[in-house]
Amino acid sequence: MDSLVPTHAPVNSEDTFAVLKTFIEEIIGEDFKDEIDIRRDSSFTADLELDSIEIVAFSEKVKLHFGSKLDFTGWLSNMDLDELIALKLSDVIEYIEACR
Amino acid sequence: MPVITINGRAVHYQQLNEQATDTVLLVHGMFSNLAVYYFHIAPILAQHFRVVMYDMKGHGMSDRAESGYHLEAMAADMQALMQVLRLPAVHLAGYSFGALVALKAALEYPQRIRRLGLIEGPDPADKRMLEGIAQYNRDMLLDYVEKNDSQVLTTGGRRRLEKMHRRFEYLFHETTIRNDMEKEHAFFEDAAIRALPHDTLLMYGRSSDCVGAGELLHNRISRSNLVLIEGDHTVPVQQPAVIGERLTTFFNN
Repeated sequence: MDSLVPTHAPVNSEDTFAVLKTFIEEIIGEDFKDEIDIRRDSSFTADLELDSIEIVAFSEKVKLHFGSKLDFTGWLSNMDLDELIALKLSDVIEYIEACR
Repeated sequence: MPVITINGRAVHYQQLNEQATDTVLLVHGMFSNLAVYYFHIAPILAQHFRVVMYDMKGHGMSDRAESGYHLEAMAADMQALMQVLRLPAVHLAGYSFGALVALKAALEYPQRIRRLGLIEGPDPADKRMLEGIAQYNRDMLLDYVEKNDSQVLTTGGRRRLEKMHRRFEYLFHETTIRNDMEKEHAFFEDAAIRALPHDTLLMYGRSSDCVGAGELLHNRISRSNLVLIEGDHTVPVQQPAVIGERLTTFFNN
């Protein structure tokens, strides 16, 4: 089921992680879901193997779910390519927590 | 994901700063998607403009299509997207094959295009890409990914490689893309290019194989300016801030 529905924001980082993990499972799809271990320290490119258009999809899900106060695209746009490649789920969780 | 229907197919698009008065429309390259703009170039432009970018058919998250990859059809798709999004006129920029689509759109729909930014538009008479398509196999993909590891967000991984391979196999073997591109070999000879009325910014990577195409277009488009930027054909990935700022200045003039 697609979780792209605005809901109340999670109350702690574990909840945030659970939501982000669901997003990634939706993006990766059923074929590969069991092959990819989604952890807090997973990097988007090397570990989760997301390509650039999948990171766009992830970004859109984050924006819609966590609300317009969170300038997720703006945050990403301040990163250079190396930083984007090295980006981890924990970085996103920290960013979301800091925006509350 | 925001999706609109064009000619019966779902087209994935993204937009930033919808409230702005003037719009910049961005067209990505062949075998790529809107992500080439999404992370850096689009946010820079969005400080001044409404920015719209979309995945061409068969690319990114848009629906697949077996045919219609020639420039006239691609430009018509773009024009249809402008209709649906109610964009009477836009500043237009395209990268690589997207630059050819943008140029074709400016020729076909001159009243709907204000200023034109062409980034790394290749000469369709150059047979190298078509030869690459004809010879494509999985080993070529692995070789490409290895060489471009740090440049195109493709750090390997079975799932990602498999996804790319499936996409290329589909486009190269199950669509008319190769024949459609082959038919465009004389596009730069089109007399209408010499009569193009638009102010045009041509941007190429200084060490790109496509610089000759930029010089050729500069000679043919009377109201054009050619700018060389440090980098090669992947200059929008290598120098997104420079590209974004150059386009912003040009479109703001």
